[in-house]
Amino acid sequence: MKVEMGFDDAQYDMQEMILDVDDLKLHYRTRNGAVQAVDGVNFTLRKNHATVVIGESGCGKSSLAKAILRLLPRNIETFSGKVYIDGEDVMLLSDEQFRRNIRWNRVSMVPQAALNSLNPVVRVGEQVAEPLVIHQKMGKRSALGKALRMFERVGVPSDFLTRYPFELSGGMRQRVAIAMALITDPDIVLLDEPTSALDVLTQANIMNLLKEVKRDVGTSYLLITHDIATSSEIADSVAVMYAGQIVEVSDARRFFEKPLHPYADMLMASVPKLGRHEVPIPILGQPPSLLNPPTGCRFRDRCPARFSKCDEEPPIFQVDEERQVKCWLHEEGVAHYVS
Amino acid sequence: MTDKSTILDYEKTIREEQRRAQRQSITKFLQYVAGKLLVLFFTIVIAVYLTVLIANMGGYVDEIKRGVIREQASIGVSLDPTLRDLPTDERLAYIDAQVKIQEERLGLDRPFFIRSFGYLSDALTLDLGFAENLTSDSGSKQVRLIILERLPSTLLLLGVSNFFLFIGSIFFGLRLARRHGGWTDKLIQAFVPTSAAPGWFYGIFLILLFPVLLKVLPFGGIVSAPPPEDPIAYALSVARHSILPVTAILLSSLFISIYTNRTFFMIFASENYVELAKAKGVPDRMIEQKYILRPTLPTIITNLAFTIIGLWTGSLFLEVVFSWPGTGELISRALGAFDTPIIIGTTVIYAYMLGITVFLLDFFYALVDPRIRVGEGSK
Repeated sequence: MKVEMGFDDAQYDMQEMILDVDDLKLHYRTRNGAVQAVDGVNFTLRKNHATVVIGESGCGKSSLAKAILRLLPRNIETFSGKVYIDGEDVMLLSDEQFRRNIRWNRVSMVPQAALNSLNPVVRVGEQVAEPLVIHQKMGKRSALGKALRMFERVGVPSDFLTRYPFELSGGMRQRVAIAMALITDPDIVLLDEPTSALDVLTQANIMNLLKEVKRDVGTSYLLITHDIATSSEIADSVAVMYAGQIVEVSDARRFFEKPLHPYADMLMASVPKLGRHEVPIPILGQPPSLLNPPTGCRFRDRCPARFSKCDEEPPIFQVDEERQVKCWLHEEGVAHYVS
Repeated sequence: MTDKSTILDYEKTIREEQRRAQRQSITKFLQYVAGKLLVLFFTIVIAVYLTVLIANMGGYVDEIKRGVIREQASIGVSLDPTLRDLPTDERLAYIDAQVKIQEERLGLDRPFFIRSFGYLSDALTLDLGFAENLTSDSGSKQVRLIILERLPSTLLLLGVSNFFLFIGSIFFGLRLARRHGGWTDKLIQAFVPTSAAPGWFYGIFLILLFPVLLKVLPFGGIVSAPPPEDPIAYALSVARHSILPVTAILLSSLFISIYTNRTFFMIFASENYVELAKAKGVPDRMIEQKYILRPTLPTIITNLAFTIIGLWTGSLFLEVVFSWPGTGELISRALGAFDTPIIIGTTVIYAYMLGITVFLLDFFYALVDPRIRVGEGSK
């Protein structure tokens, strides 16, 4: 069953889709040529679901988040494709319309936990309340009131409202960032490595908070991370990104049992597991340069299951209703790859 | 509890929080101010004492004064017919007695080291004594009056040029940062090396160009002679006279300030919170003001502090070039006339002005940056 189409087609009830990304491309212009950070990415996000985008550093996953929120640097070579939010193609909007209608109204973002994700000279309460003042023309006092309720929701003490970011711990700052992302009740929250700068205990707390919020508020998450272990707690579906492309999409349960793509499989094998005596196996070699990615399968130089067909670029194979993979091994009639 | 009463409760909490934070920051702030004042006071004391030592050549001026007194006494005796014919011993004894009286009158009988503290306290209390050669325009020989008469002109010149410098460097800095790499950016960059030369250097060329060649704008001075009676005409005349000196200062410091600010803005514009603000849909203007300018202000103000301090000392030559009747021009005249009290007096005033400048800047610093307002020890 070879299907030449996006991951999103007709498989799910369209009513359920909150985000549908179709052939999204984001290429940066550099002195040495175009860097293909996001190169023809397709995936969907269902309402009240969490899709985790997994990939190693430099695979273009942060660029993907930036492309969805249109946070583009000045050196853009190509920015194309379709991004449907609740059925509306937001790529057609002008920058000003996008700022007014999409940013923080429909899509908000929790940045990587770091001191400088909050303005150091503005009180955190004001920063959390700011989107309400800008987008919903709310008065400052009622906006602060809502910010306070949101603080309560995410477990930040109310007196932190008048504090400055430098007076908060890393975990508290991240809670503030989550409160800020939820304040306008957006449809989608982009979480760009929300826990990677935190210690393990705080990571667990933040992940639990995110789970609670998802359950209670009904938000949809697009979680971008390299941390497979933490993401497995919250994921409903998984998208694996490699060298600017998405190579596998799957429901989370079956993915964590047994991924389809050799890269995803090796990625799982490289993670240490608690209580098991398996030695983590590293993936040898390096991801290809996104400046001039190789033709054919981009993973083939590191792939143990490589065969003659890999010199051609693999299409996306629909393995079953919820699983797609960009690998020749899953073309009908080819013996399945065994690790 | 209804939703409305919940909100009221929240508002109460917010208000209480804000009040608590205010109380806390006011005490912290006063502590900070007191500490700053103490440090600055010691700085001024040391600066003035050094001036006292240097202007007296570490006490050597006493020797010169003694020599002068002895010489005057000898001449006095030799010119007096009744004393001239006395025997040598008696004449010398008389001269010695005269010298002793004079030295006692001037306090030269006590060691310089002890008297230097007297000078220090006189200087610090602005009891600056009398000028030796120069007089004020109103005819007074009091050093304090002479300097106070000159001070407003210098403050006017520095105030106006610093105002333009501050506003101009921020405004153009933001513009360039917005379109870095553009042609205006490149043009300003090409002009940056102009700041290598001091203001008076450009002053000379400005005078050659405008009053001499083009016959517009006055050569120098602060107001036309005779000064206009009408206050508005007077102000206009002062404005006309300050165009060239202010331009000279701006030429020597504006471009580098713009360039420095532009670079700071660009560095701060790449911070994560600026990107997050964009993601939040904050309009561009607001991002510039709230997310780029506000966090950058402490850095900009530090920069401005250096510029102002540089201008305080650099205005000396500029005022000479433009015959601007300010303290700088006064110093240069006092130097020419060996008028030590004036030199010490102006230096003392300069030390105070620098102290005030630094204090005000620290004050602003604390106002714009909450991380400083809280002060050390709390984090």
